Amino acid sequence: MTELQLWLSALEMGCFFGMLALAYYLVLVGAGFFNFAIGPYAMMGGLCTSWLVIEYDMGVWSAAAIAVGATVVLAALTELLVVRPVQRRSGGGELPALVAVAAVLFAIQQFAGYVFGHPTLPGQSLATFDPVTIGPATLQPSALLLVVVTAVAFVAIALWIRYTRTGRLLRAVGDSTHAAGLLGLPVNRVRLVAFLIAGVLAAVTGLLFAPKAGVNSLSGLSWSVSGFLAVVVGGTGSVWAPLVGGLLLGAVEVFVPYYFGGQSHVYGLLLVALLFFAFRPQGLFVRMVRA
Amino acid sequence: MTGKAAALGREPGLGGLAIGAVLSVLVLVWVGSDGYRQTLVTAAATYALVALGMYVPYLMAGSLSMAYGAYAGIGGYAVGLLSTKTSLPLVLAWLLGPAAAALVAVLLGLVTRRLSGFFLAAVTLLFGMAFTAFLVDAESVSGGSGGLGNLRELNILGWTPSHYQVVVGSVVVVCVIAFLLDRARLSAWGVIVRTMRDAPRAVEASGVRVPVMNLVALALGAAIAAIGGGLFTYSAGSVTPDTFTLNIVFLAIFMPLIGGGGTPWGAVAGAAIAVELTLNFPAIETSGTLVLALGVLVILLIAPRGVIGYADQLRRRGWALSRRGRDG
Repeated sequence: MTELQLWLSALEMGCFFGMLALAYYLVLVGAGFFNFAIGPYAMMGGLCTSWLVIEYDMGVWSAAAIAVGATVVLAALTELLVVRPVQRRSGGGELPALVAVAAVLFAIQQFAGYVFGHPTLPGQSLATFDPVTIGPATLQPSALLLVVVTAVAFVAIALWIRYTRTGRLLRAVGDSTHAAGLLGLPVNRVRLVAFLIAGVLAAVTGLLFAPKAGVNSLSGLSWSVSGFLAVVVGGTGSVWAPLVGGLLLGAVEVFVPYYFGGQSHVYGLLLVALLFFAFRPQGLFVRMVRA
Repeated sequence: MTGKAAALGREPGLGGLAIGAVLSVLVLVWVGSDGYRQTLVTAAATYALVALGMYVPYLMAGSLSMAYGAYAGIGGYAVGLLSTKTSLPLVLAWLLGPAAAALVAVLLGLVTRRLSGFFLAAVTLLFGMAFTAFLVDAESVSGGSGGLGNLRELNILGWTPSHYQVVVGSVVVVCVIAFLLDRARLSAWGVIVRTMRDAPRAVEASGVRVPVMNLVALALGAAIAAIGGGLFTYSAGSVTPDTFTLNIVFLAIFMPLIGGGGTPWGAVAGAAIAVELTLNFPAIETSGTLVLALGVLVILLIAPRGVIGYADQLRRRGWALSRRGRDG
């Protein structure tokens, strides 16, 4: 294991966390809360693809398309059937929405376990070219694809938020839902769009990452926590903040076990979380607001 | 309901205790010497204790901590360690375990005192994961992933309770704790803690130190969950890092919702329903948990006060109807 190989591994993990964090970020901006079901969405994307390929001999691309579609439907249902009614009833209280999203997370896990079974399935790689050799290290095709997709996704989302009508609406709703409502902006539609894009991002991320270690119905929870931490570390000041948070966390996830062994990455993550919550709860990037 | 009862001069909380006790006796009669049913009731009692532990900080004080798997685990490992590594009386484990869990809860509460909502949930979840990892890593203490087995039997002054007596004991403990929490909820302390959830600034302004009260609530909850963990470990005869999983934590969040958050008995009712669905539902064995998860979503959306709240509403409607019948 060379240094470079470790860095490539950290880059892959970082892109994975960063993509999950980007999905969190969109829902956070649009709906003002942390959608903990992001991890299970990613799990659905990966597990559903593998299951379709293994059980029904389907082509990888069509299986992936179906899996992403199913996840997007789940994301829409989360918003329309659960989060929106609960938030409306509780009048902005945080706890009811948190419990509701925990129930969604748990329900998706159980649903996936029931439909796809509980054993870990190997991930299906969309890329079929040979591993790329960089000096002494090699980059697996699935990892390369994940890195490329991450770059494309971040650029696309950054442009979308900055230059399109819906993107600007999303920022307006994020700045003040109340004011946006008063101005007659379509708050509910914008929220739904945020959920849908988050669902697509999570599902694609999950199915691209699955080849690394396989995926099972319980993978989603720890993915949720990792993505959430990436948001916390990065902050919400810019679209790129989730990527920075994700890359930092990816380095922790790869290098801590390398030097300290065993399951030390869990302690590492806990330590990072506690440090950030104690000293920089707003994350690395904070938006400066002109008052 | 309880407020009205107090106004009538009755002791608050006794109504709940009476219903709970009658149902418990019925359950114990149904169990009898059937080993499988005894296991079910033990599991239900454990779930109920973990859920009751969560009830204090979560439904009363409004902070959702997800480290309860770890607290139950501390209770369980207290029984395991005392049993295998020392020759002290095993009963001590139910003092030391809850005390250790309360201490850990206070420390974790101090570190996370500025956090609430999603942030608190995520950090405590991570703590639970780290605790499981620690149990696997610390092989010399915790026995690694194999855990601790071959536990001693309880011996209280020469008396060794039978398995059935342990089941009865667990049910009694659950009823006593639910009753005490119901009383605590209505006491001055309970009123402060509940007000703290809705209006922390008002409570702080009237001279109560909110962070300290929060720590007390967390410690109390952790101690109760540890009692449950100890009971389960003793009945199962062994404990491993996988005994108290995150699944239990999720179920414990949902139990008070299923039963109803208005009273601690809701947590007990929810635990009974959860065990019935997840462990004793032969028709759709594999999907019992899925039914439970979907049921929680439905309850959240259409009956936010849970089963007991719903029953109470029906009862009141019945009262009103019968009264109208008498008057007319």
